[in-house]
Formats: sequence, C-alpha cells, structure tokens
Amino acid sequence: MFILRFLARRLGQGAIIIFLVSALIFTLLRVVPGDPVRLMVGGMAPDTLVEEIAAEMGLRDPIYVQFGRYMGKVLQGDLGESFVRPASGAAVGGASFDDATRGERAKVLDLIAETAPMTLQLAVLAMVFALMVGVPIGVWGGLYPGRLPDRLALYTSSLFVSLPNFWLGIVLALLLSVKLNLLPAIGYRGFSYTILPALVLAVEIAPFIIRTLTVSVAGVMGQTFIDIARVRGLSRNQIVFRHALKNSAVPLLNLLGVQFSMLLGGVLVIEFIFDYPGLGLLTINAVMQRDFPLIQGIAIVTAAVFVLINIAVDLLATAIDPRLDY
Amino acid sequence: MTSTDLPLAMAVPETGRRVSTRIWQTAFASVEFKIGLAVFVVLLAAALLYPELSGIDPSKMNIRAKLTPPIFMGEGWSWAHPLGTDQLGRDMLARALVGLRYSLLIGVSTTVLMLLAGAMIGLFSGYFGGRTDTVLMRLTDAQLSIPMIILAITILGVSRPTIPSIILVLGLAGWPVYARVMRSTVMSERRKEYVRGAMVLGATDLRIMFTLLLPLVLPPMAFVAVLDIARMMIFESVLGFLGLGVQPPTPTFGNVIADGRKYLMNAWWIATMPGVFLVLTLTSINLMGAALERARNSIYGGA
Repeated sequence: MFILRFLARRLGQGAIIIFLVSALIFTLLRVVPGDPVRLMVGGMAPDTLVEEIAAEMGLRDPIYVQFGRYMGKVLQGDLGESFVRPASGAAVGGASFDDATRGERAKVLDLIAETAPMTLQLAVLAMVFALMVGVPIGVWGGLYPGRLPDRLALYTSSLFVSLPNFWLGIVLALLLSVKLNLLPAIGYRGFSYTILPALVLAVEIAPFIIRTLTVSVAGVMGQTFIDIARVRGLSRNQIVFRHALKNSAVPLLNLLGVQFSMLLGGVLVIEFIFDYPGLGLLTINAVMQRDFPLIQGIAIVTAAVFVLINIAVDLLATAIDPRLDY
Repeated sequence: MTSTDLPLAMAVPETGRRVSTRIWQTAFASVEFKIGLAVFVVLLAAALLYPELSGIDPSKMNIRAKLTPPIFMGEGWSWAHPLGTDQLGRDMLARALVGLRYSLLIGVSTTVLMLLAGAMIGLFSGYFGGRTDTVLMRLTDAQLSIPMIILAITILGVSRPTIPSIILVLGLAGWPVYARVMRSTVMSERRKEYVRGAMVLGATDLRIMFTLLLPLVLPPMAFVAVLDIARMMIFESVLGFLGLGVQPPTPTFGNVIADGRKYLMNAWWIATMPGVFLVLTLTSINLMGAALERARNSIYGGA
C-alpha cells in the first residue's frame, strides 16, 4: 500500500520533470539560431523552397503551437521522424533538395531502439570495470581513515577525475591498439570493440565510487553496532562484509541515480572518439545536423530513464536499509 | 549539521570567516594540499611567464622545423622545442601553456559565475519557500536530468563560440547543484534561534539573507567549488575537442588535441603532450579541492 502511494507520487513528479525537459529542449532548439531546413535541403536550394518546406513541416508556427502538436504525438508514443536520416540506414546530409528518399525518413523511436542496446552494453561493462577498481580501493581506504590506504584512495580518485576522457581515449588507443595491438579501437565489429571505450568510461566513474565508499565505510565503521559486533565475537571479515559493506551500499546506490546524467555525458564523448555506434554518437550527430526531432526524442527518453532509475534506486535503498522512509 | 549533540554551541553560530580560517588551516596541514599547491604554482608560473619570456609565438609557423619530436624522443629533436612541434612547425610547449591560460581563465570564471548564480537562486528559494521554491526546484530537477554536455553543444553548435558565450553556457549548465545545496542549508538555518532573533529585532528579509545567512553558508560551498574548477576545465577542453570551444588559431587544449589526432600515427606527441599538462594541472587542482573538501567535512561533521 505504501509502495503504491510512493510509486504514484514519484511517477507523477517524474512526469512533470519529463514535461519540463521536453519544454526546455524544445524551446532551446527553436530559440537558438540555425535553420534545420536549410541543412536538410542543402545550401544550393532557393530561399523560397526553404520557406515552403518549413511551412509545410509547421516550423514557422508559434513555438507553443508546435510544442502542443509535438506533445500530443508524444503522448501517443510517437516521437516523430528524423529530419535528415533515411529509414534505409546510413545518415545523409542534405546534398540534394529534390532527393527522392526524403519521403521515408527514419522513426526517432527506431533510431533510439537500435542504438540504446549498444550504449547499455558499454555502460554495463564500464560499470563492472569501475566497481572492480573502485570497490577494493574505496573499502580499503574507508577501513583505515587517515592512513596509507586512505591516502592512496584520495590520490587515485584525484588522478582519475583529472584524466579527460577524450585524451585518455586517444592515449589508450595509441598504446593498446596501435603500439601493442591488443584491442581494436575504432568502430564496432564485435564485443571486443566495447572493451577500450568501457575502460575509458570506467576511469571516469571509478573516482565517484571510491570517494563515496571511503566516506561511507569510514562512517559505518565508527558506529556502535560495529563495536558491538566485535564484542559478539564476529571476525573482522564478517564485520566488514556483512555489516559495513551492506550499509555502505545505500550511498553508492544513491550516487548511481544522481550521477546518471554525468555518465551519459561521458558516453557521448567516448562514443564519438571511438566511433562506437551507440546513443551517444547518435546524439552528437543529431546535434551537429540540427535534427530537432531526434534531439528531442533522445532528451525525453533520457529524462524518462533518469526518473525511472532514481525511483528504482530509492526502492532498492529501502529494501537494503528498512530504516529509510519512502 | 545535527543540532542535537551541541545545543549550546549551535545557538550561536560561528561566523563564516572563522570557519573558513579553520578549513584553510586544516587543509593546508595535509600533504595532498601542499603537493597540489606546489605543482599548481609551478604550472601557473610557467603558463604566465614562459610564452612571454621565451618570445615564442604559439601560432608562428615554421615549416622547416615541422613535426620535430619532443626532447630525447626519436630523431631530430632539439632544445629549441622541448615538447616538439606540430605539422606546421608550431612550438608545442608554447601552445600547451597558452592553452592552459585559456583553460584556467574559463574554468575559474565559469565556476565563480555558477557558484554565485546558484547561491542567489538557492538563497531566495530556501528563504521564501512557497511557490517560487517549487518552480525553481522543479526546474533544477529537469535540468539535472539532461546531461549538461547536450545543452552546451546544442547552444554552442550553431553560434560561433566566444570566451564569454562558453563561460555563460557552462555556467548555465552548472548552477542547479549549488542552488540545491544553498536552498537546503538556508532552509535549515532560517529556523534557528539567531535568525528568529534578528527577525524579532526588526531586521528586514534582505538584511537577514545577505548579512547573516550568505556569509555563513557561502564559504563552505566555495571551498568545494574548487573541485568544479577542474570539472569546468575538462568541459572546456571537451568543447574545444568537438570544435565548439575557443576557435583556432587560438590554441586551447581541446583544439590542439583534436588537431593532433589526425597525425597520431606519425607524430603521437601533438595529441598527447598538451594533455599531460592538462592532466597535471587538473590533478593539482583536484588534490587541493579534495583536501579542502575533507577539511570542510571534518569540521562540519561530514555533512
């Protein structure tokens, strides 16, 4: 019963957030200069044709009219069609304005559905790498606050946040794929193409895990129930793994919810460097080509995922730590 | 920020200045802070002095010395170009150091801008509450759920990016976090004795906000903002890398690295060497920031 009320409230709030995100992106795209129709039809097309097509697509109506029409469709699950991408596959610019394929452009939802699994694969692998590095360093640092392991945790996380993803990507590609020939770097032709981008993304995520764990483990270890566990005769390993880690998991979960959008920002740049065909590369190309419906669609889907992840995080947190209130 | 353990001490809040001094002293005592500071001072001095003293123009081309490798690396290196030269014979060290100037300029100004903007919005939102608060907080929720890089490249993608427009866009994308922290602190502070006391004495809202609350709440936030300088410098370089930062011929880390990427196979140093400077600078700032954050947390009891 409580859970139902909680879900209803959070989903309601989430709907408001998604609505605001749509409004924000929608307005921003239309206020900022740069005409997508000009890009679609190409530089050679006469101005009258540009105006004609723009009017036909409803791009010259007042913004709130366009927004109302768009949201009406979104509510029916229709995110519209890309301005520039044909349904057949490869992206084309607007080389010729009398292009015959202009009639059948790709559906935004299809484009997102095609690329999202690739990004998910990248993100999950990166998360695994990041946890493999971050959890030992973070927990160890938290167990000895102020001592060497703690220092080490501080130095590693400070160094990792200082590595710009695009630079690290270039350096790792140079070392691991050009010099040592260990891993493929550019494009995607199999699972091994995910490893290098995932490593770079993991370096970006790990510092947050390390910092959160160091602080929370140190906090938990200072509490009375840990002392009591010691008196109860539990071994140190039992105390750390059963009590301390379980209690430190909640801040870690919260972090994942909050940092989700940062994670996506990293994915964007990393996919661009490695030419990895995921949602991030799709986004960058959409922005560069001023593909309004695609940018809007991606923003809405991202916001929705953000909302759902945060609800899931809160539910999981209460499952782990029943003292927490919804 | 629990007031249950120390009811008496909390009734009279420490002034912002005294807390700040203690945070500085605690941070300065740590090894991390000293290492960070030393590295940072050296880099800053190099960035400010080297291009001037050596008289090397970072955009001066010298085709005869093109693609010189860094010292001790490969054939034909020379002391004249310690980090080598690029495909047009431009000195990489001068380019990296001038890039560092722009990076720091944009990083610091952006952080100050978003700290102040966020603090103001959070202050009003938290103090007055009500409908203003609801609207502002929903807006920050919405903004936090869009990756700020999408916002930034959307806005900068069409207009020709200039230094002020980059600062504005990055600042615009970063204020919500500060607004939230400020709001929650102000909300808890304004219920306390000393604020109510000031109200009873007839102080106006603005007076309470700007002479009592702001000096108390802003300094601890400003210390943590040091970490954001590094974050903003990374964002600036990412924008530059995507071609949306300060435009060439002005060298910035982003555009130099993007440029060097084309020559990665035969001249690896163009793309990698400037990055070493960026990483060193960022690490030094992050070490200082982490030390300050820890000092603040230990003084505020981990909040």
